[in-house]
Amino acid sequence: MTDHAHYRSAMMADPHDADPELLAHRESCAECRAFTEQLLRFEARLERALLVDIPTRAAVLPFARSGKTAQGPRRWMAMAASLLLALVTAAGVWLTLPQRGLAAAVVAHMAGEPDAWLRTDVPVPDADLNAVLKDSKLRLKPDAGMVSYASSCEFRGHKVPHLVVQTPSGPVTVMVLVHEAVRNPKHFDEQGYRGTIVPVPGHGSIAVLMRDRESGSGDVERIAARVDDALVWTR
Amino acid sequence: MNDEVGGNQRRARFQALCQSLRPDLLRFAFWLSRDRALAEDVVQESMLRAWKARDSLLDETAAKPWLLTIIRREYARTFERKRFPTVNVDELIANEEPVLAAAEEQNISDVRAALMKLPDEYREPLILQVLMGYSTAEIARELDLSGPAVLTRLHRARRQLRAACGEDLTQDPQE
Repeated sequence: MTDHAHYRSAMMADPHDADPELLAHRESCAECRAFTEQLLRFEARLERALLVDIPTRAAVLPFARSGKTAQGPRRWMAMAASLLLALVTAAGVWLTLPQRGLAAAVVAHMAGEPDAWLRTDVPVPDADLNAVLKDSKLRLKPDAGMVSYASSCEFRGHKVPHLVVQTPSGPVTVMVLVHEAVRNPKHFDEQGYRGTIVPVPGHGSIAVLMRDRESGSGDVERIAARVDDALVWTR
Repeated sequence: MNDEVGGNQRRARFQALCQSLRPDLLRFAFWLSRDRALAEDVVQESMLRAWKARDSLLDETAAKPWLLTIIRREYARTFERKRFPTVNVDELIANEEPVLAAAEEQNISDVRAALMKLPDEYREPLILQVLMGYSTAEIARELDLSGPAVLTRLHRARRQLRAACGEDLTQDPQE
């Protein structure tokens, strides 16, 4: 039996604790629900506060300043080559990556999983889909569309669900970003992807994106709204 | 010749892995040390140690926690090597003002300032949980603490932060 004090202590230690007894208590207690909402608002601030951007001096890790294996002129040539490579790489990254932080990170993540974009009519088994969604304390209504890809991905320090939903307009990627709060929808059109990141009050945000060649005007926004409706939060 | 090619490939692969994890590792080291320059040094030294100990990483998907552990140890070693003067938190905050004040909103900057003032014993488990996504059991293992001790520290960390940020604590439970 969970009382107010036990519930609130547990929430203070982990506001995302999904223990069934705690959830049951929250459902039955309006005061603790209000307490949790206040706590989760602060937690969202905390999560954003921790995401500091740290400009760095060193360009390449981990060998930027080791220089222990090369000797004499060879060492200097190696260092010069490393520096040149670092400058070229940095310039390349600067010129090619989208500049907005979260959208850029979402787009960059896509490049690592090209297979996710396959058009297919084979749905992910329910058990696999639920396993991916469980950690984020959510489930997906069946009317969201056929999910052909579901993976729990490392994204900016957190495991996040990465789904691909097959729609008449083609495959659509959805990333559920519980740890990334945004105040307003952010639209982006970068690197061959068109997408939007929309706020989900109390639950961070969701990113929805399509490849340019498959998205018509307004498609992404419409699909984002449909996905948002189909998400059922279990906490 | 083949050995050299293989070695270069291995090194490039390791470098790519480090690069991909670098933002998170730097953030972690920054919140540990509360000092950007020290964080960079710690991460740099940790990468070199990691490279030397690369054979102990059996599963590349476990690279991040493996590197975080190395960073924690390297940070502790920094204190063994150098006797730092007593930390003046206000000075730290002033030094790191460009990083702390980079937030768009004042309420985020407030939380960052409060985090800087949080004692190490509370800040560290909180970073591992919120920033790195560690479970209570994983934090306990990393910090060599019991599960209840971790929960107590997390509870106190949040209470202190919320108090520092002017949150209403009247509904908070007593410990």
